[in-house]
Amino acid sequence: MNSKKSALAQGFIRCHDCGCLSRKSEQNRLCPLCEGQLHPRLSNSLQRTAALLLSAFCLYIPANIFPIMTVTRLGVGEPHTIIGGIIALINSGMVPIALLVLIASILVPLLKLLGLGLLLLNVHYRWQDHARKWTIMYRIIAFVGRWSMLDIFMISILVSLVDMGGVAQVIAGPAATAFAAVVVLTMFAAKNFDPRLIWDNQY
Amino acid sequence: MQRPRKQSIERTFALSIAGLILIFPANLMPLVGIKMLGGDKDGTLWSGVVALFEEQLWGVAILVFLSSILFPLLNIILSLLISAHLYFNKPNRHLAHWMRWLQHMDEWAMLEVYMLGIIVACVKLASSSELKFGFGLYAFVALLIITGMLATSLDKTLFWQKIGQLRK
Repeated sequence: MNSKKSALAQGFIRCHDCGCLSRKSEQNRLCPLCEGQLHPRLSNSLQRTAALLLSAFCLYIPANIFPIMTVTRLGVGEPHTIIGGIIALINSGMVPIALLVLIASILVPLLKLLGLGLLLLNVHYRWQDHARKWTIMYRIIAFVGRWSMLDIFMISILVSLVDMGGVAQVIAGPAATAFAAVVVLTMFAAKNFDPRLIWDNQY
Repeated sequence: MQRPRKQSIERTFALSIAGLILIFPANLMPLVGIKMLGGDKDGTLWSGVVALFEEQLWGVAILVFLSSILFPLLNIILSLLISAHLYFNKPNRHLAHWMRWLQHMDEWAMLEVYMLGIIVACVKLASSSELKFGFGLYAFVALLIITGMLATSLDKTLFWQKIGQLRK
């Protein structure tokens, strides 16, 4: 028994959904346990991840340039970008919360874009080293992605609460859509990337 | 790697019933309210979605609706359906589909992120207005704890094994 060989190399396919191992053969396209489609690896994983990642990258720019919300006080409107909101928090002395928002809405999306990009390059050029570290990085990226929605939820609450006509009002800006799209696209990109590709072509 | 969990089916069954009860007050009752310059305003999960919709941000509104209302609800309903069938040993040909949906949906139910959003929004508002917390918020926090426990009590391997056994 060679324990270093992958299941695929030994002629087994693992079902994505239920984890059932079955023998690889031409006729058996459905998992015997859950009857889901069987694929040895996620199909077109690299192309799909790259496409989603590129669109996310393009949207990341408007998400940071345009105002994410406009705060109106006594008739005077003041647009806020994502960074502007963080600076406002720091100025009012809420440093821990500012740090939280900074991590969730700037660092996490940026690290996700860069990290997934590096993972794609890794698989494409078959960098053979540190497969374990790359896998850990993938797990962190996949886990941390949903927390970027923080900003979107916060805006949804502010918009519904602060609505007093001309006196005080919060209006969501165009960056909100772009930012939401970045979060969703990177989540899909992470889901479409198959971390087992890192371990293929290894000996 | 996962280790088997004790009484997974029974616990999931019980927790999903609790979650189903809690999800109604958490959605319908006000989470936070503010008092600002004489005006009074209450916010629920739903009012946030409506406000975004009214500002023509369809995409964001739909996303917030899905991740804070629809997916958590479906998550709990599916857990309830699956664990009830397994608990009473009733075969159903949709079990595998439900289980698959449940696994894919898991990631998109973001109640805990929403909670953090509430906290940040409250901090931002605290300086300029008077905040009051509604009963919905307590229900929401309880729901958060229940869904967290639900996720840890659900043993996927065991569930799939059981589904496989019931089919035969």
